[in-house]
Amino acid sequence: MLQYSLRRILGMIPLLLLTSFVVFSLAKLMPGDPFGGEIDPSNTDPQYIEEMREKLGYNDPIHVQYWRWVTDFVQGDFGKSTAHKMDVSKLIAQKIPNTLFLAVVSLVFTYIFSFLMGMYAGRKPYTLGDNLIAGYNYLALAIPSFVAGIVAIYFFSFQLGLFPFSGSVKVGLEPGTWEYYQSRFHHVLLPALVLGLMGTASYTQFLRNDIIENSRKDFVRTARAKGTKESKIYNKHILRNSIIPLVTFLGFDIATLIGGAVITETIFTYPGIGQLFLESVNSRDYAVMMTITMLLSFLTLFGNLVADLLYGIVDPRIRLD
Amino acid sequence: MEVVTETNRKSTKNIKKSPSPWAIARRKFMKNKLAMISLVFLIIIILTAIIGPLVTKHDIVRVDFMNMSKEPSADHWFGTDTNGRDVFARMLFGARTSLMIGLSAMFFITLIGTIVGSIAGYNGGKIDQLLMRFTDFILNFPFMIFVIVLNTILVGKVSGVWTLIIVISLLSWGGVARIVRSRILAEKENEYILAAKSIGTKPSKIIIKHLLPNVSSTIIVQATLIMAVMIVAESGLSFLGFGVPSDTPSWGNMLAEARDSDVLRNKTWMWVPPATAITLTILSINFIGEGLKDALNPKSRR
Repeated sequence: MLQYSLRRILGMIPLLLLTSFVVFSLAKLMPGDPFGGEIDPSNTDPQYIEEMREKLGYNDPIHVQYWRWVTDFVQGDFGKSTAHKMDVSKLIAQKIPNTLFLAVVSLVFTYIFSFLMGMYAGRKPYTLGDNLIAGYNYLALAIPSFVAGIVAIYFFSFQLGLFPFSGSVKVGLEPGTWEYYQSRFHHVLLPALVLGLMGTASYTQFLRNDIIENSRKDFVRTARAKGTKESKIYNKHILRNSIIPLVTFLGFDIATLIGGAVITETIFTYPGIGQLFLESVNSRDYAVMMTITMLLSFLTLFGNLVADLLYGIVDPRIRLD
Repeated sequence: MEVVTETNRKSTKNIKKSPSPWAIARRKFMKNKLAMISLVFLIIIILTAIIGPLVTKHDIVRVDFMNMSKEPSADHWFGTDTNGRDVFARMLFGARTSLMIGLSAMFFITLIGTIVGSIAGYNGGKIDQLLMRFTDFILNFPFMIFVIVLNTILVGKVSGVWTLIIVISLLSWGGVARIVRSRILAEKENEYILAAKSIGTKPSKIIIKHLLPNVSSTIIVQATLIMAVMIVAESGLSFLGFGVPSDTPSWGNMLAEARDSDVLRNKTWMWVPPATAITLTILSINFIGEGLKDALNPKSRR
């Protein structure tokens, strides 16, 4: 297991290098100068521009520029944001807690709801309740998250006035106070509920089918024969077996949630990584754009790795080599 | 006498004919009410997308300052948007864009995925390793992020809608390739493939004539579901402003109006029609996909 994990982690390095190469080439292909923003736009003297280009290393051969970017990147120097006039690392550190907070809260909602629905549907399959749950999940799967988000804002923020419709915290609150955290939670609740409730389908379906399958196994028959209460059979004996494989979904969820942040954060005007990314693409802020792209690629790789490793831990029968 | 022989001949004819797998699948599909309703609905949508724009007399491109943000009326069935364009007419044109992107992306993705998957699966060994590592590499890109970046580069170089189709096709064939490969791997162990090989059939012919028809059911189901995913991707990207150019009407572009909180709050007629259209279309495609999956699976008894 340890050997396999190490090999997988080492295997990520060439993939990351390849990705960095792709990201760099894409940034080079983008219209405009990748480093143009650092040149004072009011000074149009060609000599000045040429000097700045020389100074910023924009005239170096491509491979030198690539190598400089990669080595800086590995050392944690992501460059400077031209639009925000600050270090990219600081900028991202500002925004990423919001994105992660939203991802975690929505995952919690997904787990709670899919758990309840899956347990019920698995225990009483082919009943009205099971069909209703299946129907709901069908709808949740078909409705795109941005449509759901728009409708949710319309009803819950505008018609009912229950939730704020933009931002991550009320303006003018002191960080660290109780009201501040309350307001943050209040702001994250609606997007997290929408995302969470839209993502239950795979979990519910898996849990339901696994419970049905497990309930036909011998250990359940033994438990029944011994006179164990039905509720205890389902809540203890079966659930323990069915819940383990769900862990593997977590890895994929990391990737989907963070990647999907672009859309969610735009709908709810929630200041996170996704919004920063769109902003950087629009304002040609290449340092920010490249860093976020690399970061999200890394997280996707990492998510897949977590999924694979958890798979092996959860089910030792799966051979990992 | 004559009458009797006539009936005899008829009955023998009936007995002889046993339904082909496709006929069985069609019968199963026809019995699936939900899938049939969805199919009819989708056909209606496709027909309106083809015919609708020819019938409507509204100009969907011209900005009309006299008619900005009008509520639904007899003249404008679904009202007008913030640029004074008729929402209903834009819905019809939008259906065209969205469906065309869905269909073309589905075609390209299935094509690339099938080619890569079948070559990897059939050849095995080094070629398989190489192709599958490449597939993994493609699958590791966060889809939305890379589509946005690629789209920004290509926009203006390739005309309008095709930029998006090319970009999303190039980034999403990985899943199909994996599925096709695994099905081919299982299928090629059969004796008839060995027989075909031993009489010297060309590999390309074995793949196209013998292997692909046997995995076609999987590919068809996948293609259906991909179409739904791609329509969602298109509308999502257009919603963000990184999809089709904003002067081309698409359901996503129309929905993008709802990013303005005044439109979202007070001018529901602008965003409810495209939102409903997207949802119903996706839902019906998904139902058709599920129906096909059931119908093409010989083990399902429904």
